[in-house]
Amino acid sequence: MTTMSVRPGSRQGPAFAFVAPALLLLVIFFLLPVAALLLRSVTEPELGLQNYRELFATSTYTRVFLNTFLVAGITTLVTLLIGYPVAWLLAVLPQRTAMLIFGIILLSMWTNLLARTYAWMVLLQRTGVINKTLMQWGLISEPLPLVNNLTGIIIGMVYIMLPFIILPLHASMRAIDPAILQAAALCGAGRWQSFIRVLLPLSASGATAGALMVFVMSLGYFVTPALLGGASNMMLAGMIAQLIQSLLDWGLGGAAALVLLAVTLALYGLQIRLVGNAFTEGR
Amino acid sequence: MLLTYDRLGTLKYLLWAIVIGVCIFLLVPIAFIIALSFGSSKWLAFPPPAWTLRWYEALAADPRWLAAALTSLKIGVLVTISSVLLGLLASLAIIRGRFPGRDFLQGLFLMPMVLPVVVFAVATYLLFLRVGLGGTLVGFVVAHTVLAFPFAFITISNSLRGFDKSIEDAAVLCGAPPLIAFLRITLPSIRLGLFSAALFSFLISWDEVVVAIFMASPELQTLPVLIWAALRQELSPTIAAASSLLVLVTLVLMILIAALRRRFVE
Repeated sequence: MTTMSVRPGSRQGPAFAFVAPALLLLVIFFLLPVAALLLRSVTEPELGLQNYRELFATSTYTRVFLNTFLVAGITTLVTLLIGYPVAWLLAVLPQRTAMLIFGIILLSMWTNLLARTYAWMVLLQRTGVINKTLMQWGLISEPLPLVNNLTGIIIGMVYIMLPFIILPLHASMRAIDPAILQAAALCGAGRWQSFIRVLLPLSASGATAGALMVFVMSLGYFVTPALLGGASNMMLAGMIAQLIQSLLDWGLGGAAALVLLAVTLALYGLQIRLVGNAFTEGR
Repeated sequence: MLLTYDRLGTLKYLLWAIVIGVCIFLLVPIAFIIALSFGSSKWLAFPPPAWTLRWYEALAADPRWLAAALTSLKIGVLVTISSVLLGLLASLAIIRGRFPGRDFLQGLFLMPMVLPVVVFAVATYLLFLRVGLGGTLVGFVVAHTVLAFPFAFITISNSLRGFDKSIEDAAVLCGAPPLIAFLRITLPSIRLGLFSAALFSFLISWDEVVVAIFMASPELQTLPVLIWAALRQELSPTIAAASSLLVLVTLVLMILIAALRRRFVE
């Protein structure tokens, strides 16, 4: 009888009791509702794939898809171009100076999303500071349309996504041994060659991880496009919200959600395959 | 060469120029709202013609803002407690337990972080409509806990992984009951992870917009819901005042995290 309690298998009991609350929460309030939503896409209004047919055959909806990928693509490209030099300098700066810049990045990242978006709405509007200053300097004679269009969305999205590309890029650059670049220089490589043939390939994993993360997050973003974009810039997330909440077309909304979910999961799978799972590798 | 600061040469100036540009880009909106919140212009003219506190007074005089802030605080605290508790239990099981399906569970636990929030928001909205949890405090807490849990789980798992369990075992061998050994040896050792998890969980709930705008009812609104509604009507300076207070909350929490980290890591 006493040997029963020390059997290795007995640890399964308490361990499972410990995961049970989290498991219950996620199954009942996460998996089930999401599955129910996705199921509606093939059962409402009737059983079949008509929702998907409608989604991919209606030009209004396909334009939303294109728009979503366009915004996510431009955002990723711009954040990568701006974020790369920042991560680079952060990797070589003395600790103290780097910490200050990190503080600024983290402050902007953790500031309330609506507060930041509000600031851009005011800054970018027709009578906003940016337009007024440009007109005062005589650079433009008419206010530029900076908000309620693609420009507004991109500015807002780049602002929000920059930290998410700088952090992984910085991590991958910190991991490079500076001696490798010295070796390249000793072997006669110029700056440009060292950059193209050594630094860039060695930091590629961080760049890929960051770029994929920004792209995926941008695909499903709701708040910023809704506030800084115009009616013609609707993105997938905004469309799902509208289909479900305003139009009560739950079947079509479920289909759009499934498309977004499938693309998201596929890209995350790609990320794990390419650069590994940051969490499980920490062990 | 390219990764040694002193040997970057002229490239250094180019990189600095970009970094300073980015820092300005990141800071300007935040500084700008704070300045606007003290400006007297109702039409948000900048620089403001005069300085005033009237938008903060308007904020304090409007009971809706206070009620929303209290609601957000209440939900945030409840979410913090439940997410840290669930995160601690789940981390203990995943890190220390040996049972089949651990990798699968770990994947599931991180899912809410991966799934686009809007999909979760509409799915919860439809479920809560049916079971009558829409617009209730419980509904908010449950939905926000789902979103905060992955962060608590990651943070606590990581600090638990860094803790040497043989110290706890030693206490048990010396005669301490397992629960006491856990409470007095293990918990204090991973307190940095627990505090970080708590602060993350709170901030996630406190700032959450998307689920909240689907969930809110006229009787129960969080601060972000109120700001969202106000933003869609007009860009009044009262929002600038509310936003500045939110920046202040973030700043205080960040300083708290930095101070805790310094004290614990020393």
